Amino acid sequence: MKALVVDDEPLARRELRRLLAAHPSIEIAGEASDIDEAHERIESLAPEVVFLDIQMPGGTGFDLLARLDCVPRIIFTTAYDRYAVNAFDVNALDYLLKPIEPERLAAALHKLQATPPAARRAAHKDSHLEQLFVRDGPRCWFIPLRDVSVFSAEGNYVRMQWGQERPLLGRSLTALESKLDPQRFFRANRQQIINLEFIRSVDLGVGGRLHVQLNGGCEIQISRRQARQFRERTTV
Amino acid sequence: MLDSATSLSVLRSRQGVATSLGYWALQFAGWALYFWAQASGEVIFADVPWSKAATLWGGFCVSGFALTHLLRWIINRGRWLSLPPRALLIRTLIAVALLAFALYLMTIVLSLAEYHTPVAPIVGALYRRLSPDGQLFNQFVGSLIVTLIWVGLYLGFAVQRHRYDAQVRQAELAQLLNAAELRLLKAQLNPHFLFNAMNGVRALIADEPARAQDAVTQLARTLRYTLATNDDELVSLARELEMVNDYLALEGLRLADRLDVARDIAPEATQARIPVMLIQTLIENAIKHGIAELKEGGTLRIEAHVVNAELTIRIINPRPINAPVSPAQGTGLKNSSERLRLLFGSRASLRLDMSRLGEATAEVRLPA
Repeated sequence: MKALVVDDEPLARRELRRLLAAHPSIEIAGEASDIDEAHERIESLAPEVVFLDIQMPGGTGFDLLARLDCVPRIIFTTAYDRYAVNAFDVNALDYLLKPIEPERLAAALHKLQATPPAARRAAHKDSHLEQLFVRDGPRCWFIPLRDVSVFSAEGNYVRMQWGQERPLLGRSLTALESKLDPQRFFRANRQQIINLEFIRSVDLGVGGRLHVQLNGGCEIQISRRQARQFRERTTV
Repeated sequence: MLDSATSLSVLRSRQGVATSLGYWALQFAGWALYFWAQASGEVIFADVPWSKAATLWGGFCVSGFALTHLLRWIINRGRWLSLPPRALLIRTLIAVALLAFALYLMTIVLSLAEYHTPVAPIVGALYRRLSPDGQLFNQFVGSLIVTLIWVGLYLGFAVQRHRYDAQVRQAELAQLLNAAELRLLKAQLNPHFLFNAMNGVRALIADEPARAQDAVTQLARTLRYTLATNDDELVSLARELEMVNDYLALEGLRLADRLDVARDIAPEATQARIPVMLIQTLIENAIKHGIAELKEGGTLRIEAHVVNAELTIRIINPRPINAPVSPAQGTGLKNSSERLRLLFGSRASLRLDMSRLGEATAEVRLPA
């Protein structure tokens, strides 16, 4: 498995390399000492897993993730970062506290290899987005897009409906649309993109407008312009 | 803190004994004087026998003594002194009315028993020209005046005592708070630094054991310095700089060639006394928000000079040009500044100068 080590401290990188030497399944494809370098290496090397420090000059590990379209598997490495640890406790990303314990590292790698390959895809430029790293205020999430029911435009940003959470994504709805899987997501109107898998019922409203009820109790109107295409797609 | 609390309560109870001794003395003296004035007046002006006058006014003063003491008990029990002024006024007026009326009735009863007339002879003698009703009214006014004098004196003293105690408590509290604040404000080593240093040492153990050994020694010295010193302690600049050198060596492990240090310490400055961990905090700040944020790193400058009996310490570091001042940076400096204020008052100052692009200067001034 190809790995990238991102840390601004040479000694920390050296230590991690030494620890990873005990795991022949991990091939260290490269190193980076700041997030610009890391961004470039992730694009060029397409690592499957990134060992990522949080505090680095020029931007944090979270800043790096927010920049990436396709996020590889991430294992955070940090010395002491209560806030960060809280942030990614939310959806159980792995993190290792420095000095790293060999047993903890082995467990994290074991977990990594146990996940089905579909979930750990490399960064292919032509593929559709499957998960996004979203940071909203102090909280961070890795959001599997298949679990998002609606994307709503909010100025130049996008508000996502993901279970009980409503995180805000720092991109425009149009920019996001081009990266989404058209088999799953549909532009319902100027303001919203819906997840077709979440549709519970479709009603014909006044003036021939289509109203879509989504699981989770949300009602979306399909614009006239999109209605025909919607009918074709869903055979209503 | 425990000691001062104990001595405080001992002081309080001693004050309590003194207060109640004062009360008893005044209570006895006051009623005895009143007894003397009334009884002797009655003998002289109304020409009655001493025994009768003494019985009437003795009875009156004993009742007065008992009733006012009861009132004092009620005032303490009901915490009248903690009441808002309006509530205190209402209670006081009711108490005065009841007490004056009770004393008035007492006079009538005793006078009837001794002289078979409701008006005490001294009142009759003094207000000869008034009708019997007018004399009775003046007898009531007499009781009212005695009551008012007692209540006025008692509440006056008690209120003053209460206010004084509150002030003393306030002052003590402020002092305790100062000490607690200092303890809280004491700069401590950042856990981030400790764990990173240990991670660095761990990386060195295999390849460069000699450097690893040095680093462990430096880490031990740094820790000992922070653990062995008290929050309000002053140390010589030289001693603090020794620790800072260890600290910088450990940060150097982490930052490698990104950290350069230049020192300009005047020899006469080294014996000046400064709050422990002061420079360490400033340097930690300079590295965290300055040099560690720069990919290429930079040079940290430490300067200390004495001019006109004033020590000036400057920590100068390069910083990212477009980075905003983070709130954490504010807290660290605010704590140091607060410590300086608690230890030196207005004679010390700390300021952060960010006016130059890409550079930050922390400057401390202290009496040397």
